[in-house]
Amino acid sequence: MRDGFSIVLKTSWNPVKEDYGILPAIVGTIISASIALALALVLSVSTSVLIVEVLPRRLRSLAEVLVDLAAAIPSVIYGLWGLYILSPFLKEFVMDRVVELGLGGIFGYPRGLGTSIFSASILLSIMITPFAASIIRVGLRSIPIHIKEVLASLALTKWEVIVMELKYIRRTIFTALAVAYGRAVGETAAVAMVVGNTLTTDFFKVFSPGYTISSLIADQYPNAEAYTYMVSALFTAGLFLFMLSLVINVLVMIYGEKR
Amino acid sequence: MSRDPIIIINDLRVRIGGKEILKGVNLKVPKNCVFTIMGPSGSGKSTLLRSINRILDLYDDVEVSGDVVVDGVSVYDPKTDPIYVRRLVGMVFQIPNPLPHLTIYENVALGPKINRLVRSRRELDELVRWALEKAYLWDEVKDRLHVPAVKLSGGQQQRLCIARALAMRPKVILMDEPTSNLDPVATSKIEELIIELKNYLTVVLVTHNPFQASRVSDYVAFMYDGTILEVGSVDEIFTKPKNKYTEMYVTGRMG
Repeated sequence: MRDGFSIVLKTSWNPVKEDYGILPAIVGTIISASIALALALVLSVSTSVLIVEVLPRRLRSLAEVLVDLAAAIPSVIYGLWGLYILSPFLKEFVMDRVVELGLGGIFGYPRGLGTSIFSASILLSIMITPFAASIIRVGLRSIPIHIKEVLASLALTKWEVIVMELKYIRRTIFTALAVAYGRAVGETAAVAMVVGNTLTTDFFKVFSPGYTISSLIADQYPNAEAYTYMVSALFTAGLFLFMLSLVINVLVMIYGEKR
Repeated sequence: MSRDPIIIINDLRVRIGGKEILKGVNLKVPKNCVFTIMGPSGSGKSTLLRSINRILDLYDDVEVSGDVVVDGVSVYDPKTDPIYVRRLVGMVFQIPNPLPHLTIYENVALGPKINRLVRSRRELDELVRWALEKAYLWDEVKDRLHVPAVKLSGGQQQRLCIARALAMRPKVILMDEPTSNLDPVATSKIEELIIELKNYLTVVLVTHNPFQASRVSDYVAFMYDGTILEVGSVDEIFTKPKNKYTEMYVTGRMG
């Protein structure tokens, strides 16, 4: 016991002094996964509704295959794409614009290629959407025909029916997002490539480079053996990541059991 | 049939997935009566019912020709909004299907609320109460309007579904074998209710049960293999049927 619990509360990371704090990485993980989740909610619900309820039948299976294939792309490919295409794009068209509005003090200032917590969040949302969407699609398809019939018989318009259907499968949507959140929290390779890998005390500034727990471990582990305590610090970070996933899963189980 | 018809069906043909289900149906349903479409399973009763409020639109690969006129509105006219038709024509289904994620109150209030049939919360409360009273359910649920609808028994759930349809103030209610999943006690309550409903609207009932048809109907149409074989008052159909299939069906020799 050198540091005890204080390692998760400290913001410093100074291997030379063997002083380790992982709070910025924890916050970075939660912020990036949460932004990703909010976007994935919109993306996955809308793609599912599009595929199941809107597209003509001939295009449905094509769209479905495309979305499913997006889940099979290796994350390192996503990482490269995120680093060289997505991040610079976001920097030029979103982050720089927001900074011009004088909001740099709140969101931070992008650097270089635009690698940042924000870029990682957007990339994550794109990566986790196929997973959530496939579960939501199954939910939409499992709505019994007599429920669809009764909604239509009450003179609801097509869109009103869809809103009611989404409420009907809200537990499925919740489960889908929880699965997606679990993946967003643990995603390593792609995030490590776009998050910027910088330990900062200003860890709420999402346009600035940052760290997540998994990218911290991936980035620092290769040289950790050179220090006395860094391996232990990174293992603590891993334990914390594990507990975060555990909490999410338990919450899903509790909500899923409720009737 | 002396009274004005509220539903007129002219040479209605329906194909689903290429198979002809309705083979030229002609019917006139008089106002304020219980009109029963009776026939064996697979005769096209449910399809006929679903063509009246255009619920058939939900199914893939459906072709409709001919016309249905409800209260002067041509249902399959391209200019007719199916939403308008469905406000005019309510529906009750074979499976009691209250929306399980909504409360008793919300189930009844959903249609009027989304269709903006009421202007205030108080008006909505009154409408919900009116509908539940008309469905003989109010006394049983007035103290638990805000519990999930699935807590009710099967018979109560079906009366809730009738209340939900009534709350839209329709001119016609379509009922697709509304008692086939209920026990005899719950069934007799619903039958009583069906007879009561004709005082202020028209009921089109589908059943495969000739005894139910004889208990509740004013008029009966006997349907077989996608066509109407015989239509008449309940007495005509049950005491002196003209068609031999109708006779076999009402005497229990077929069905």
